[in-house]
Amino acid sequence: MTDVTSEALRRWRQSQGWDVPRMARELRKAARDSGEDVAAHHGLVKMIPQWERGNRAPRERYRLLYLKIFEDMLGGLPHGTDAVDLALRLAEVQARAGRLPGPGEIRMLEAAALATPRQAMTPAEIRALAAEVIAHLHEVAGKLAELSALLGGGEVGEGKP
Amino acid sequence: MSARDDEIRRVVAELEVHIAEVEANLAALKALMAGGEVPDEEDSSS
Repeated sequence: MTDVTSEALRRWRQSQGWDVPRMARELRKAARDSGEDVAAHHGLVKMIPQWERGNRAPRERYRLLYLKIFEDMLGGLPHGTDAVDLALRLAEVQARAGRLPGPGEIRMLEAAALATPRQAMTPAEIRALAAEVIAHLHEVAGKLAELSALLGGGEVGEGKP
Repeated sequence: MSARDDEIRRVVAELEVHIAEVEANLAALKALMAGGEVPDEEDSSS
């Protein structure tokens, strides 16, 4: 069974933008789907912060539920500490990418920066900066597509069964 | 770790670099929009 650290539990929840009650709902949903009994919602709401602080260790059934939710969301990464670490990184990077603005918003920022009287950069430099942001946004979109293909493609590596 | 996991790690690492670039340049653009100075890479003081 994969060891899930208290820090991992917290990082994973936060990477999804979930508060503790939402995490409790997700755990109960995963338990329902697999026909398991778990603590009531208010009980989980008390336990989750304790697990995340390391005050208490979640029992195995809860660790399994975390992994189940995790794998469902990330396309079936294999079990293992490395895989959990990778999945955490993946979830975080996807969340960060999701918070980035689109090219249209960059253009608006560029226009606003150009219209601002006190400027530390020349208009050409501002335009170049905005163009660079948009170029990186395209790279981000490309890498996200690459990741999606990797996660959904089901290609089997040496370590996969 | 499988070859697929290694490939995912590589793409995630590249993604992190591009996201960091966007975030840094975005912060610079917002600073300009606010009429402030663009933070210098070698000077972290504000």
